[in-house]
Amino acid sequence: MVNPVLFIVVPLGLAFAIPLLKYISKKIIRFVPALAFLFNLVFALRLIPVVMDHPVHVHIGGFIPPMGINLVAGPVGMLFVVLIALVGFLVSVYAFHPVKEKYEDRYHILYMLQLTGATGVVLTGDIFNLFVFFEILCLASYSLVAYLGNRAGIESAVKYLIQGSLGSGLILIGIGLLYGQFGTLNMADIAGRIHSVQPVSVYVPLVLFITGFGVEAALFPLNAWLPDAHSSAPTTISAVLSGIAIEVGLYAVLRVVFTLFGISNMMGFFLVLGVLTLLIGELCAFSQDNIKRMLAFSSIGQIGLLVFAFSLASTQGITGGFFQLASHTLGKALLFLAAGYMITRTGSMEIASFKGMGKTMPFTSLAFTIGAFSMVGLPPFMGFPGKFMILKAALHDGQMLTLILLGFILIATVIEGAYFFRVVQVLYFAGDDLPDRERAPAAFSRLVPIFLFTGLIIVLGIYPSLITDLLDASALELLDRPGFIKSIIP
Amino acid sequence: MNFLSEYTYYIGAFSLIIIGLYIILVKKNLMKVIIGFSIFDTGIYLFLITVGYLREGTAPVFSKSGLDAGKMVDPVPQALVLTAIVIGVAVLALAVILAIKIYAHYGTINLRKIKEQRW
Repeated sequence: MVNPVLFIVVPLGLAFAIPLLKYISKKIIRFVPALAFLFNLVFALRLIPVVMDHPVHVHIGGFIPPMGINLVAGPVGMLFVVLIALVGFLVSVYAFHPVKEKYEDRYHILYMLQLTGATGVVLTGDIFNLFVFFEILCLASYSLVAYLGNRAGIESAVKYLIQGSLGSGLILIGIGLLYGQFGTLNMADIAGRIHSVQPVSVYVPLVLFITGFGVEAALFPLNAWLPDAHSSAPTTISAVLSGIAIEVGLYAVLRVVFTLFGISNMMGFFLVLGVLTLLIGELCAFSQDNIKRMLAFSSIGQIGLLVFAFSLASTQGITGGFFQLASHTLGKALLFLAAGYMITRTGSMEIASFKGMGKTMPFTSLAFTIGAFSMVGLPPFMGFPGKFMILKAALHDGQMLTLILLGFILIATVIEGAYFFRVVQVLYFAGDDLPDRERAPAAFSRLVPIFLFTGLIIVLGIYPSLITDLLDASALELLDRPGFIKSIIP
Repeated sequence: MNFLSEYTYYIGAFSLIIIGLYIILVKKNLMKVIIGFSIFDTGIYLFLITVGYLREGTAPVFSKSGLDAGKMVDPVPQALVLTAIVIGVAVLALAVILAIKIYAHYGTINLRKIKEQRW
């Protein structure tokens, strides 16, 4: 059994080894991220059976909680670690073919730091440690958005930085307020004592946390940075931002709402917020001509659907939410990589410029189509079981509000279908006046990750039961708050 | 007056936070917004320190026998502030670099004039 702390330490150490390795060979550094995340992926998969049995706790420095910093590798944490490692590995394979020749070493360092931060956020059991890892994730994201150094990238990075650091500041105030009341930073310890004080005095930190983490999770009024940042970042970074970063933000919101504060009477608010986010995202995506912007808005919509699923607060709903989360991570990473690969050929982000790509780039177009179908939720792809589970859970919930909101979700899905099918139509059936394009030799390192993502989406769409055990355990961990607290502070 | 003397630091901290927020939200000049962030962060650091502060408390070091743990300043918020300052410096440095880049591309750092990206 591997110690979960290695999932953070290995990428972090290798990230800072890159400047040294650069002196050995300039070529070698582009393989370092793939190596680190392959390590994480293999050992995280091997740790999962252990974690399903009982969560693994690590006390850093040997201090017993609530004194020191502890890591909690429960089912939720390991689910995210596996997703981060999987996307991190495949996207770094895509980056074997460099995005930009200049400053390649800095790109790889920041890329690894970004995913290290994400891994740290999902594993830690200490609220301030969570903030620190969150800041590592955010800082690396700000600089990677600006990595290409063009007008759009710099402008989006400034917007992202201003909104993101405002959110981080609010989180820090919330942490200060909680520490002032409870004298501890351990999440389980705070959670165990949160009902011992007046409810009014925990509302303020709760609101600060939801606002702060909501910026990164792209909840509705706080997501103005997302379409700019996701569309002007380099392709690989868009895939990671859409597939990992916002999901990690959502994880932080879930941890705060479900575990730390244990709220059950605010779910109506979150249900409405989720559906609002979904509708806004899908409607804006519908009116885009730029493919990366369209995908970015679609991410906002998907986050809304996830918020809706999680705030059903039932085992079914949360399991469905986690399934849809995994499906969105794989699907959106695939879509961004495929779209990015096509953009390198056409040189334009306009959807109209993709005319006839089905002939010139058949494999990439097919992968994009499969990703799009999975996003919309067509069987036999991975989006179908996810959406189906969420709908079933919402019907099972049976309240009037949920049923009305369900109607809006179905409308949003139709809109989603409309704009994805429009792209597919341009790819394959855009008439005869096609621009004359040569079939260029395919870059192996770019096609392999696209193929693997496609394969995973089909396999998990046909056999969702491969991961439902882990998802059920994750749902249980979020809902069983006393059990979680007891497992850390006996 | 009793209230004022008891909560001076909290009042100061939250005034700084509010001033910083005001500057961030209202000012058009990117450099002023960055300065606003600096003030906002300072307010948060002062607040965190105040949470663990004890009037006439001593440093939390057991150098001599007979020191009372109840009369010591809480060291945890100070550790938090050190970490937060490091993060804040990194964010500010990145923000200033981006401001230089913005000026190189647009010839202005007026945020109202930089709006090529929109919904």
